Amino acid sequence: MEFSELIRTRQAQAELLSGPEAPALRGTLCVTGHHLLLSPKPQATDLWLLLLRSVDSIEKRVAGDSGTITLRCKDLRVLQLRIEGVEATLDVARSIEALSSLESVITSYPFFYRPKGLRLGDAWHFHPLESYYKRVALETDAWRLSEVNEDFSLCPSYPRVVIVPRAVDDAALARSARFRQGGRFPVLSYHHARSGTALLRSSQPLIGPKKLRCAEDEELLGAVLAGARPGAQGFIVDTRSAQTAKQARMTGGGTESKAAYPGWKRLHRPLERGRHLQESFVRLVEACGDLEQSMDQWLSRLDSCRWLAHVQEALSTACLAAQGMEREGACVLVHGAEGMDSTLLVTSLAQLILDPLSRTMAGFQELVEREWIQAGHPFQLRCAHSAFSHARSKHEAPTFLLFLDCVWQLGRQFPLSLEFGEGLLLALFEHAYASPFGTFLCNSEKERCLCEVRTQTHSLWSGLNQSKEQRKLRNPLYVLNPSALWPSVEPQSLRLWQGLFLRQTRPPERSEEVWEKVWQIVTDEKTEDSRPVVSAPEPQP
Amino acid sequence: MASAPNSKYNTRSLENESFKRASRDGVNRDLGEAVPRLPGETRITDKEVIYICPFNGPIKGRVYITNYRLYLRSLEMDSAPILDVPLGVISRIEKMGGATSRGENSYGLDITCKDMRNLRFALKQEGHSRRDMFEILTRYAFPLAHSLPIFAFLNEERFNMDGWMVYNPVEEYRRQGLPNHHWRITFINKCYELCDTYPALLVVPFRATDEDLKRVATFRSRNRIPVLSWIHPENKTVIVRCSQPLVGMSGKRNKDDEKYLDVIRETNRQISKLTIYDARPNVNAVANKATGGGYESDDAYHNTELFFLDIHNIHVMRESLKKVKDIVYPNVEESHWLSSLESTHWLEHIKLVLTGAIQVADKVSSGKSSVLVHCSDGWDRTAQLTSLAMLMLDSFYRSIEGFEILVQKEWISFGHKFASRIGHGDKNHADADRSPIFLQFIDCVWQMSKQFPTAFEFNERFLITILDHLYSCRFGTFLYNCESARERQKVTERTVSLWSLINSNKDTFRNPFYTKEINRVLYPVASMRHLELWVNYYIRWNPRIKQQPNPVEQRYMELLALRDEYIKRLEELQLTNSAKLSDSSTSPSSPSQMLPHVQTHF
Repeated sequence: MEFSELIRTRQAQAELLSGPEAPALRGTLCVTGHHLLLSPKPQATDLWLLLLRSVDSIEKRVAGDSGTITLRCKDLRVLQLRIEGVEATLDVARSIEALSSLESVITSYPFFYRPKGLRLGDAWHFHPLESYYKRVALETDAWRLSEVNEDFSLCPSYPRVVIVPRAVDDAALARSARFRQGGRFPVLSYHHARSGTALLRSSQPLIGPKKLRCAEDEELLGAVLAGARPGAQGFIVDTRSAQTAKQARMTGGGTESKAAYPGWKRLHRPLERGRHLQESFVRLVEACGDLEQSMDQWLSRLDSCRWLAHVQEALSTACLAAQGMEREGACVLVHGAEGMDSTLLVTSLAQLILDPLSRTMAGFQELVEREWIQAGHPFQLRCAHSAFSHARSKHEAPTFLLFLDCVWQLGRQFPLSLEFGEGLLLALFEHAYASPFGTFLCNSEKERCLCEVRTQTHSLWSGLNQSKEQRKLRNPLYVLNPSALWPSVEPQSLRLWQGLFLRQTRPPERSEEVWEKVWQIVTDEKTEDSRPVVSAPEPQP
Repeated sequence: MASAPNSKYNTRSLENESFKRASRDGVNRDLGEAVPRLPGETRITDKEVIYICPFNGPIKGRVYITNYRLYLRSLEMDSAPILDVPLGVISRIEKMGGATSRGENSYGLDITCKDMRNLRFALKQEGHSRRDMFEILTRYAFPLAHSLPIFAFLNEERFNMDGWMVYNPVEEYRRQGLPNHHWRITFINKCYELCDTYPALLVVPFRATDEDLKRVATFRSRNRIPVLSWIHPENKTVIVRCSQPLVGMSGKRNKDDEKYLDVIRETNRQISKLTIYDARPNVNAVANKATGGGYESDDAYHNTELFFLDIHNIHVMRESLKKVKDIVYPNVEESHWLSSLESTHWLEHIKLVLTGAIQVADKVSSGKSSVLVHCSDGWDRTAQLTSLAMLMLDSFYRSIEGFEILVQKEWISFGHKFASRIGHGDKNHADADRSPIFLQFIDCVWQMSKQFPTAFEFNERFLITILDHLYSCRFGTFLYNCESARERQKVTERTVSLWSLINSNKDTFRNPFYTKEINRVLYPVASMRHLELWVNYYIRWNPRIKQQPNPVEQRYMELLALRDEYIKRLEELQLTNSAKLSDSSTSPSSPSQMLPHVQTHF
């Protein structure tokens, strides 16, 4: 595909304002197929670069013989470009508009990005599902790795391999898949070794108005209980209200009936999703960016955005699932309707609460890869636009951002227990919406295979794990915390994620600076600590 | 442990925490005794009661009352003390129910505390069983009404450090480079004759004579004349504090006052104007004319510019805090929490105080103009503004001792009416003079420490400890309204200073991330977006809200303990080493300060 058709102008003289405090940058502006470049005048050493994909909305204004373009980015930054010449302004604006809204995956920047120090082959070495299964196999033999979805025919949104009860054969899985929306039959999400219980996820059963049943699906859930600790009960956490779940039967869906699944008890914990969640996000970003607004009403406006209420609901539902396993010794199945949004939110947060390994740098990356990317969260649809876009299709929803916010809240309440810091969460947010890496491309493993993402792009994880980034991403205070993290979910304990939502109006002491100081102190302290030991004279024999 | 699970699912009673805190305070605890006692603390009575805990339901226990505290132990579990409350925090004791009232636990006492909680005890209805408990509590919680001494005068605690030595005004002014050729130290108020609510030692313009000061005093409310609080080390601009001028309805003028302000202005050559910040809202300043007060008008004070900072008076603040308590105790407002918080206006008041202080600091630092700050009497809002501005401007005050000096200077010595605002030992709980002005100041400091996590040597516990002892009456630090009263009562001789406790346990109060920076001016963001409710203080009694108990500091303490252990091990190694070699001086890398220690073992 020729980008050049879309580029109306190659160069213009411009001035960039990237925030109220940042100094203006003047120079030559350049539009390329994937980027907006600004090279400051005399020497072009300090190149400013913006991935066009990350532009969420663009606003142009002309006055006299110059114009201003306001770029609102998907990562919530707002940039202003003052451009000389009316024609140039309009051309630049049109080019950005056209290039930033391209939908083709294979012409996107990750397929062209070839950073120094990374080789294409190295990028996708890790297979979190297989390595997670190895861990589970050490804890119990109740589960097996099934390749029933090898060609994605059973469930287009599942990966090739899934972890299922050993007692259930592939034929039964196939029938269960037909009984579940989108073929998302119950699979293992997390095995809690200490209590001998399991966390599963699926989509809704296709009960429909006629109250259909599926013997294999019932057998599958029965096998889960049989494989767990003796006498274990099951909880089905439905992320819809009882009424919504019931209404879903009219369109062929529904929820598990008590009679058909002995031992399983259903709990409804309605979580906001889809359009409502997106609107909440849009309202919040609007409120945070509205500097004109009288500050007296900030709190009630924040309240009316309901974002923190969503954070609370997500965290407390995850607590419920985790509590069911750890405290009640029960197996837990989580699903909503399609099982690829709020379901993943709950299962991934529950793991973070229970599993110390998922709180390490590597463990968290595996969790995101396994429970979001490979589990088929449709990133391309959900993250097509961020909070500024006017073009509203109905697929966008900041579910993944909500997950990151919940993780941030956990990190705030347990500052020592996560090996990674705010820097990693911010990076994941940015890359989920626009990235030079291929990790968040497409909606499922199947699509990623078709697009050859694994062979043609670099993985974000290898990019992030390059050493120069480490200090920004890691938590200097981390110490392994073997116990579960039970967050306080009262509204008084939750905070607005300032580092993200107020990034345009930041407090004076930048969090990166504080982070850097803490790193220094911690590294100093370590050397100090060891000093007495090192200098201690060896006792003479 | 930092890993302790903490959530709504956790039923651990929070009051245990306050008990633990108390035990860290260096209280000598005799394990054989039911109640920990301070030296000088005596047991008065004990009684079986039911403590109606708003979070965990009724708990049967035995309450012990001493002349300092109320202490509750559960009857069921013998290890867990449930309450340890200094009687000083009690603001009101009410009887609930009557001898004939029905219903479980309806007869007893309801105690309102100054620290955002209420305590309820149910007693047996037979034989007026609450009467003696009520009388004893009333007597020892409100000793002033019963001609009893406040506990601070009975406290016989001893500490390694003497907190009364922390603040020496001459030394503090010398640190600021005073006196210099523009400013002099005067002893005119040595016997508190010029102004009975000011300290003995004042810094005034070099060119103003003591006679001038006396004439200015007649024109300022309660004789609180403009005096220097702080001088900028480089540009030599100053922060001056005072009370309102006595302008009155007729618009009186006073040549001496006008001249005096001009003299202050002239000590700074960089800007031709003196900036006056009147902390009040404009309307209030005008209204004060009716009672003889007012503000500096343009026509009388030519070379000045006046700004109003819109901070409300003590009554508004008191009502605002009351609303905060309503939404956090005993039950926390769940739905629309943020909107209910907004309706208390507490954070808005915090914002206005901080904004005012930022303006003062900015004027002095960037505007290079000297600044005069006053409100009505100059002991509430004025103290908030000058002390916060000084905290922003001068990194010295961000150290533990520096902050103690700041409080001692701007608040205690300059006559913030602690006795009236807090009501130490006083039973008039509805006294209109009570107001949480100092709490508001500490809240502002906390907001700053949140925004600049590495700028302060002290941690959150330090601020909470100060607030706890603002009420406790264990120390003499916050007693009485002014220096002259404290001197009459010989407070420094007869009581212990809070700073003795703190400075003897400094590690407990240290911020592990403190990085000392000289000459850095801190400008906090006073926008509502960046202010938050101090949950760990205002909602600390609620076990559901409780966050991890400062895990970072916990970890820091662990590291310190680890270090101590290493040092001890090192000592022991040296000991064995030197014993073996029978010549301790040859051990190569032994830190010299360890040696005396080593020798005491012999």
